[in-house]
Amino acid sequence: MTSTLPAATGIEVPAQRTAAPTPRSTGRTQPPQRLRSSRPDLLVCGLLLVAILVVQGWNIADYPTLSDDEGTYLAQAWAVQEGRGLAHYTYWYDHPPLGWIQIAVLTWIPALISPDTMTVGTMRAAMLLVSAAGAVLVYVLGRRLALPRWAAALGMALFGLSPLSVVLQREIFLDNLAVMWTLLAFALAASPSRHLWHHFGAGIAAATAVLTKETMLVVLPALLLTMWRHSHRDTRKFAVTGAITACVLIGLSYPLFALLKGELLPGVGHVSLWDGITYQMSRPGSGFILDEGSGSHGVLQSWLYYDRVLPLGGLAGALLLLLTWRWSVTARALAGPALTVAILALVALRPDGYLPAMYIIQALPFLALVLAGGTASVAHAVLRKRRREGRRPHARYALAAVLALAASAYVVPRWYDGARTAMTTDANAPYQAAAHWLGTEVEHPADTRVLVDDALWLDLVHHGYEPGLGAIWFYKADLDPAVTRTMPRGWRDLDYVVASPTVRRDAVDLPNVRAAIEHSAPVAVFGTGADRIEIRRIQQAGTPGGER
Amino acid sequence: MAAFTLWWQMHAWRTPEVLASTRFSRPDGAEQLSFSLLLPARHEQAVLDHTIRRLLESAHADFEIIVIVGHDDPATAEVAHTAAARDPRVRVVVDTHEKKNKPKAMNTALPHCRGDVVGVFDAEDQVHPELLAHVDHAFRATGADVVQGGVQLINFHSSWYSLRNCLEYFFWFRSRLHLHAQKGFIPLGGNTVFVRTDVLREADGWDPNCLAEDCDLGVRLSSVGKKVVVAYDSEMVTREETPGSLMSLLKQRTRWNQGFLQVYRKRDWKQLPTFGQRLLARYTLMTPYLQAVSGVVIPLNVAIALFLDVPVGVAFITFLPAVTALVTFVFELVGLHDFGKQYGLRVRFVHYVKLIVGGPFYQVLLAGAAVRAVWREQRGRSDWELTSHVGAHLAHVNREDVPA
Repeated sequence: MTSTLPAATGIEVPAQRTAAPTPRSTGRTQPPQRLRSSRPDLLVCGLLLVAILVVQGWNIADYPTLSDDEGTYLAQAWAVQEGRGLAHYTYWYDHPPLGWIQIAVLTWIPALISPDTMTVGTMRAAMLLVSAAGAVLVYVLGRRLALPRWAAALGMALFGLSPLSVVLQREIFLDNLAVMWTLLAFALAASPSRHLWHHFGAGIAAATAVLTKETMLVVLPALLLTMWRHSHRDTRKFAVTGAITACVLIGLSYPLFALLKGELLPGVGHVSLWDGITYQMSRPGSGFILDEGSGSHGVLQSWLYYDRVLPLGGLAGALLLLLTWRWSVTARALAGPALTVAILALVALRPDGYLPAMYIIQALPFLALVLAGGTASVAHAVLRKRRREGRRPHARYALAAVLALAASAYVVPRWYDGARTAMTTDANAPYQAAAHWLGTEVEHPADTRVLVDDALWLDLVHHGYEPGLGAIWFYKADLDPAVTRTMPRGWRDLDYVVASPTVRRDAVDLPNVRAAIEHSAPVAVFGTGADRIEIRRIQQAGTPGGER
Repeated sequence: MAAFTLWWQMHAWRTPEVLASTRFSRPDGAEQLSFSLLLPARHEQAVLDHTIRRLLESAHADFEIIVIVGHDDPATAEVAHTAAARDPRVRVVVDTHEKKNKPKAMNTALPHCRGDVVGVFDAEDQVHPELLAHVDHAFRATGADVVQGGVQLINFHSSWYSLRNCLEYFFWFRSRLHLHAQKGFIPLGGNTVFVRTDVLREADGWDPNCLAEDCDLGVRLSSVGKKVVVAYDSEMVTREETPGSLMSLLKQRTRWNQGFLQVYRKRDWKQLPTFGQRLLARYTLMTPYLQAVSGVVIPLNVAIALFLDVPVGVAFITFLPAVTALVTFVFELVGLHDFGKQYGLRVRFVHYVKLIVGGPFYQVLLAGAAVRAVWREQRGRSDWELTSHVGAHLAHVNREDVPA
């Protein structure tokens, strides 16, 4: 026989399932075979889930500040729901569309019952489902990677309650959905039954993650490592190739889709997948992350402003696990998440790469897991290492208690502040006021053309503005030929411009938008300082909304 | 259809535990059963002597070999009688039926069997010396009524279709039969099958009018709730050869397909206790029909998606069968690698290429055989088109012990 299992399975009984599971050679602690029926696990996981949902859900619409990206994804989801295509403007292969198709599905029923709820603030509630699924998956993955119950719970808490997570996971970002799928892929790859179809499913989930947010591509090697470690020598060949095949085939459906639409390669008069990829690859870099004054450094500072424990502690945990690879079983068990963190850290350290603020979202669950794993490693070293009978166990427990208390003393006040801010601050009053003003003070919304950022775009659509050419996503006034064609006289063909922080920031590179701001005067201002939102009326001879 | 194929094809590899359970367990050394091994031979004087010698090398203590020859086949009979004179464990039974076929031959020999268990081999089989001891143990350890051992075609390098044929056997015996055994509905294979003698007599032996008497026996036995155990061990399989020409492969496949249809029409499977089992039976026995249909439909689908101007959504859906077919392809490649590993055979790159390129043509062949079977069955033609063997597996695999 060329291949054997470590333990013979008694008699051969193909007519029934073989009962005896084979012990693994790694000597790791066995995760429970069925988490679903383990009462303590359910209890811990359930309680944490409630805590996470309360902290993330309370005040979700008013904090953090609405972002233009959220608005874009939701507007695209709205376009899908309305059957207008894959985006509210021409879909140009900026991202694969699967992400907002999922958002469309998630928000389908509420939007059906009350169409007006399809605005960014309200629909953030849908992200709670995603956060909840992600948090549970972190726990499951932690357990499947042989973490003790408390450490898996710690990982889940870190993932769901870190102020950084609370801020980012509340927002309607594709990354949050992609993270959920990636976690599912990892959990399936680490399936204790090592079932072929589970690994196959991991491949499908991984492909879904990539089609949700393409940046997940870089995480795939770590997923492969996890699957490799968790598959059995005898069936690995089939499991791993099956997973890769599933992933590749599902992934190829995107170019196939472009091909069937005749938009795979660039050509005159249509968008193409090729152009979309070229654009994403050639986005101007934001500098080296450790270079003070660079854009990337600013992004890093913005993360650390919310929380230092998870990003820095997670990095330290990953480093610890990678260094103790040879001695620590926990380190080997957590190889996948540690590698994920390492890959993402290296990608972030590119000398001049583009680093968006949501970049860290995909690292959050893995940072949490390696930090929890590192803590478990330290706890093990303190409590168990070289322990002999009767040699001062109390001292060890005392030391552990002191460490735990010190860590709590550092973390708890900071996180408490973060949670309180998230649950009480109203950051979006100016947006709501602006939306209200545009809905009540403008006489003929249907004939009025407004430049607006996407965070408000859907509000305007609900107030009766014409989607696309009446309520105009401000970028399109310069970048989309289908829109500029309707504005032969430039800013003169517009009535209002809603100068939100995003619009003011990006107007520098958009001549039409800049001109519109320059040739307009504020009629209403909400908020103060850099965050203020100005509704500016275009200064021109005709009456507002008169000409088209 | 493709998804189902994928499901059974990969059954054995689902989890390491399942894979382990598909193997023979190690015999305990105690041998208690006696075996009567049936060896029907017809115009097979070239390979028969080698097969008998090899069977006689079996390590088991208590067995007899019953060679069944036709009264009109003196050359084979002579080889058989010589062997019988040489060793008392070999006996010869002469089949005097006017129209001969394998089930009739075996029914002729059944009353002469003295062993507790009847085993069936073909005249060109290479049987492993340890097989009987393992089967003995399997009977006693599981309380089975039937034990089906593995059969494997080995000469994958002979031609493009033999490569696919070998792999088909590999997946069938390595994986699919186990699924059938687990579900309680199993079409048995033609040889390396062992049945308790009393059970076999109770079932009145084989159906002399069925073209797939092996499948029929399995269906009848599982329909009355007999326990069938399948065990596969790459070392312990019976090695065979692929048909020598494309035409004979087509004929062989036509015969099997037609046999399946006959078994379907006999309706013994309707006695199966659960709905799921009956569904599996229906699906398995209908495979020839389904194959004929899918052979036409899949290429048509892809052609529609590529050449006709259909909406993107529809085009997407028409690609779905192609996706499952692609997954199957990939698993076949891995299966070929595993096959090479298990049997210590060198699988070269060109073989993988052949496997891929030959795939569609083999599908055409299968579809052709299916159509032919349906057509013959409709016309009421049910004579045997026997496969002839040239001994390719002997020549290539065991060059040293082939008699000149």
